[in-house]
Order: sequence, then structure tokens, then C-alpha cells
Amino acid sequence: MSATIALLGQPNSGKSTVFNALTGLRQHVGNWPGKTVEKKEGTFTRNGKEYAVADLPGSYSLTANSDEEVITRDFIESGKADVVCILADSSQLERSLYMMADYAGINVPSFLVLNMADVAKEQGKTINAAALEEKLGIPVIQISATDSKKYDSFFAAMDRAITQKSVINISGLEAALSKVEGYESIKELIPEGSVKNVSSMWLGVKAIENDKLVVDQLKEALSESTLGQVDALRKTSGGALATGNSKFVWIDELLDGVLEEKKEKVSISKLDKLYLSPVWGKPAVILTILLGLIGSFIPALPLMGVGSAIGALKGPVANALAGAGVSDTLIALICGVIIQSFAYIFQMLGFVFGVLLVFGLLEEVGVMARISYVFDNTMAKLGLQGKSVMPFLVSFGCTMGGAAGSRVIDNWGQKVLTIALAWAVPCGAAWSVIPMLSALFFGPGAVLVIIAILATMLLHMWVTARVFGGKLVKREDRFGMIMELPPYHKPKWGALFRYVLGRTKDTFFRVSKVVLLVCTLFWLLSYSFVPGADPVLFKIGKVIEPVTRVFGMGWKLFMAFIASSVGKEGALGVISALFTDGSFYTAFSDAMSGAARDANLGTLLLANVSKPEALAFIFAITFNMPCVVALAATYQETASAKWTARIAAYYTAGALILSAVVYHIGLLIW
Amino acid sequence: MNALIALLGDGHARTLWMLARDLGTTESDVKRQIDYLEHIGMIRKVIGDGVCGSSCSGSCSGSCSGCPSGGSACKGCLPEGGFQNMGQMWELIPQ
Repeated sequence: MSATIALLGQPNSGKSTVFNALTGLRQHVGNWPGKTVEKKEGTFTRNGKEYAVADLPGSYSLTANSDEEVITRDFIESGKADVVCILADSSQLERSLYMMADYAGINVPSFLVLNMADVAKEQGKTINAAALEEKLGIPVIQISATDSKKYDSFFAAMDRAITQKSVINISGLEAALSKVEGYESIKELIPEGSVKNVSSMWLGVKAIENDKLVVDQLKEALSESTLGQVDALRKTSGGALATGNSKFVWIDELLDGVLEEKKEKVSISKLDKLYLSPVWGKPAVILTILLGLIGSFIPALPLMGVGSAIGALKGPVANALAGAGVSDTLIALICGVIIQSFAYIFQMLGFVFGVLLVFGLLEEVGVMARISYVFDNTMAKLGLQGKSVMPFLVSFGCTMGGAAGSRVIDNWGQKVLTIALAWAVPCGAAWSVIPMLSALFFGPGAVLVIIAILATMLLHMWVTARVFGGKLVKREDRFGMIMELPPYHKPKWGALFRYVLGRTKDTFFRVSKVVLLVCTLFWLLSYSFVPGADPVLFKIGKVIEPVTRVFGMGWKLFMAFIASSVGKEGALGVISALFTDGSFYTAFSDAMSGAARDANLGTLLLANVSKPEALAFIFAITFNMPCVVALAATYQETASAKWTARIAAYYTAGALILSAVVYHIGLLIW
Repeated sequence: MNALIALLGDGHARTLWMLARDLGTTESDVKRQIDYLEHIGMIRKVIGDGVCGSSCSGSCSGSCSGCPSGGSACKGCLPEGGFQNMGQMWELIPQ
């Protein structure tokens, strides 16, 4: 074998391309001894001489942080390579020359290959390889490794490096390193030749970086007292941060006069000028989200229509079953629970589909990343990421949509906390009940009630963040962030629809299970199996009334409060039926369909419910668990029954505490 | 790089463009510093559920044992080649 060539470079520097171009089919792939890191070796013949090539594992540097780096270093230090080919990416020399800078100080001959010359040319970059060669003292060439027919310059550089035994001129790097506190002293303490094939400069730098392998090597090469001095100097040197700075300074000096490129302007697009503006950023983002929310109703319509069509089947199916002699109980179960549940699920599913599609689209085109940035600092105060604002705003329309939208939050704890806080946001169903009840009981004062609810919502979110934040969001999750915003681009519709349809299907199966279970339970409690007998719900209501009074609600209002856990708009149906002596089963059915208010409900309520009770009830249903579908969505997104139950229990208890407080405040006023 | 670390210490989020502007340098230089700081363990990429697909075991129906956060996102839930356009984030690691 004439010589062994080792290919050294960072990942994506083109090592494998060069390796394949050199060896063709004459290569062997295995593993490095005792490691799972791939070992690639091969041979090639040129001018009658055979050369061995080792494709060293791709690594950022030569510091012993990973198996790849340790293997690479061991191979080079062992002297197995006669020459090392250092590869760098011409299109980003500032970054990719770091490996060369980290290699500087190793005495194994080397040459530098600036790969991807074609990409650099396309970027308008001109590189003077000869000037760089003069500064470095080793052969430097620029190639496109993919063009395997143009390797003449590569072989020429290789031959020169082998015959001249060229090593990198480190005088410039040493000058930069001299500004690192303690470097000169450390270098003096390490005699040249302490470790084979590496200079004392290189050992000194690695000692400052606290490289474990070098520290072990120095333990063998130096006396204990000298080692102690090195260690003491290292501690005050600034460590890897200081040496890294020096290497970057040296790289910049090397590239000065070597690399010519169009001056990179620090600028942003017009759209980013708006989104990232300290003044207009938040309004622009809120407007985008609101428009997205409105827009999400359009793709939601078909599924909502399916839901309505399923609901319309109740009558004909009930008649058909009655005609077939099926028992009333079974008809009630089929029509009032199963069909009604699926009608409800499909209507809600439409909204989920719409929200996922619209907000998935926003993410696809790059807007979601901007939303995340704009609200990051605000959300950080709650221990959340900026992206959390999206589920909150969506929750004004539907908490289930908000829970589904929390999917864009990548940290599980923050996602759960976001959903927990989103529950405090009154959903569209709540907003269909709150104004009506407020206007009925308080006339023009309804505005004050709504303002009080919004204020309570903010307070609730703050308290909830304090209650759950400690367990869900670790302290280290809240540090300053660097965000590399993606460029705006056209959406990949196929991928987006596959995602949205997949998620909608998944949601359907999961939600169906929970909704059917809960609805069946409510149905069992509210149905009179024996004609004339009181259903369980009534009996329970009478028993618990002394307790419910504490919360400002009689048992009928309390039952409506419980029904609001299934669907908030349905609470009106429940109190309508209960206060007008309607059947409990009908009341429950109304709760699910969100319909059927008695025409005289207003009169009946004013006659039977006091203002403090009304206020307590409004707050209780507003801040109660949003609905059973939101509960299912929460379980789906958190994948935690424990946290779903914990949040549900917290909101139920919180709603009752709030109603009690509000009731007693009401008693003071009225 | 010390200046970059100091900027992150205030707990605020910044884009590469803002860092380049505040540090009086270029985005390429900021990216280079990020590479290095990540390599020496002073900052880390924010690994999200959406990024863990390749290391996940199981499907959407179960929790994702491969995810550092224990989240529920798995490879089967993520569209290939799309819907991953949230950019990249790094955070300071407490030393």
C-alpha cells in the first residue's frame, strides 16, 4: 500500500461522495470495533500504486464528545493515516472551516478540499484557494465532489501533501489564542511531543476545553503538580467558549481576502416587518388567527351537515322502531343516546377538521412560527410558548378545537398546561348562553356581567398556570430562545390533507368512545325505567340540594350545571325541562342537541331563580368543564388519563367555588 | 459568543435576524455561533413531539416512548415531507 488517506469533515461536507468517487466498488462497510458507528474503508489504484481510504465518521469537531469524535481522533493520532483530507463546504466556509481549525495543531500531513464549489458559485461566492493555501501552508483545492471526472486537482493536492508532509501553519491561530487567559502558560507547561502526532498548542487548547481524553493523556505525560497547574489555569481561562472564539477569529482572518461574496444584508421581508413589529406584530397575529378561525368554519360545514343529517334521523328511526314493536326504552337508547351522540360528534368533528386544516395551513406556509415568536414573551410569563396563544383564541370558538390546536406545541408539559388554561376560555356554546341569561336577569347590567366573566377568565388562567405550571413546566423550559424562522413557502397540500384527515379520523374514534360512555351514563340516570317512578337523577337532586345551596344553586340548577359538562348550550334545555316539569329524559336529550328552550323560560326563570342564584349559575356553567367532547379531545392530546381527570376535577371544583363566591357577593348586592 | 449568551439570559425570544442585528453581525455568523454553542452544550435544540417521529415506537394510539417529553406524537401521525415548518428553536441550558 502506497499511502492511507483519511477523509475528515463535518456531516454533509461530502466525505461519502469523495469516498465513493475514489473507491468505486472497492469498499468495505462494517462497524468500528466495539462501537455501533459505521466504518467505511476502501482502496483505489492510481499510476500503478494502491491507496487505502478511510471515511472517518462525520463529526462537528475533534473534541471527545461523542463516539464519532473519539473514533476519528484515535484514528488520526494513531498515525494510521499518511495524509488527512479535510473537507469543508464552500457554500458556508465560515461554519464548515471549524473542523480544519480544530485539526490545526495535529502534525499528521493534511490538505484541504473545499467541496461544493458549484453551490458556492451559484451563491455568487468567489474563493481564492491559492491565497488560502498560502495562509494555511497546506494544499488547498476547490472542487465539486459529485463530478467524479474532475479529480485531477484532488490527486495533485494529495500527492503534494504526502511528499511535502504539509502541516497547517498555526501561527495565526496561536496569535488569536494568545488572548485566551492562561493559554500561553498552559502551553508552556506541556512539552512538545507529550502525545504522539499532536502539538502542545493542540493539547493546550483541548485541555482548556476540558477534553476528557486529553486530560487522561496529560495525566500520563505530566507530573501531578504540573497537571494541577494546568487544571487551575483551565478553570479561569473561559473554557471552550474562549477557544471557540479564537478559532472563529482565525477563520475570519483566513477568509479575509480569500472569500468574496455579496455583502449579506441584515434585512427581513415586508410580511415579517409587519409580524415582527413590536407595535403591529400582536394585532396582525391576532387578526390572522381570528380570520383563520372564521375561515375554519368553511371546511367544517360538510361534516357539520353530516352531523345534522344524522340528528334528523332520530324521528324516522324512532317511528320505524316503534312500528316494529321495539320497546320504548330501547328506542330511547338508540335514538336519544346513540344517534344523538353521533350527530353531536360529527358536528364537533367538522370544527376540528376545519381548525386543523386552517391552522395546519398557517404552519405549512410559515405563519405559525411567526405567531409563536410574537407571543413567546407574553406566554413565557405563564410558563408557555408563544404558540399557546393559538389554542386560546381558537377556544373562544370551541374548546375542542383549542385542544386539537395545542398539537402545534412541541413540549408535552406546555401542551397540557395550554389545554388546561384553554379550558378557562368561554367557548362559543358558553357565549350562546351567557348573554341570554345575563340580559334576562340583569338587563343592561349584562355588559358588566360579561366584563366580569372576561376578567375572571384572565384571573382563572393565571391561577391555573400557578397551580399546574410547577408540575408541568420545568424551570429550565423557560429560558430565552433563539428562533430560526422558516421561509414562507407554498403549502404541500397532499401532506397537509393526509395529516388533517388522519387526525380527524383518529379524533373520531377516540371521541366516540368517551361521548358514548358519558351519554349512556347520563341517560341511565335520567330515564324512568318504571312508569311513574322518579329517575335516579331526581332522587339524587333532592338528596344533594342542601349541599348545592352552598354554591348558590337549587338542585334543578345544579342538574343543569352537571348537564353543562356534556354541552353548555344544553344547560338551557335542562332547566327549561326541569322548571316546566318536563321529562328528565327530554331534558337530557335537549342537553345533547343544544335545542328546545321553552317559550316561557324567561318568565319561569325570573319567577323561580333569584339574581344571586342566576349569577352563580352563569359563572358555574361558564367555568365548568367545557363539554364532554373537549374532555375527550384533552385525553387524546395529552395521552394522559390522569391529567385529563385532574384538569376536569379542577375545573368542576373551581366552577363550584366561583359560583359560591359569586352567589355570596350577589347576596350582598341584592 | 459571550454576547449571544448574555442576550439569551434575559429570557426573551429572538430570531436569527434580531440576534444578527443586536450583535452587529450576520445571520451566517450567528448560525456558526449556534452550531458551536450547541456542540459544547451551552444551548440545545428544542426537541418537540413533532421532531421525534423517527425515534418513536408504537402508533398514535399510545404514548410515544421514544419522545423525550413523553408526548403522544408518533411517526404515523406526521405527514412525510410536510407540516414541519415551525422553524428551529434553541434554548439556553442552565450551567
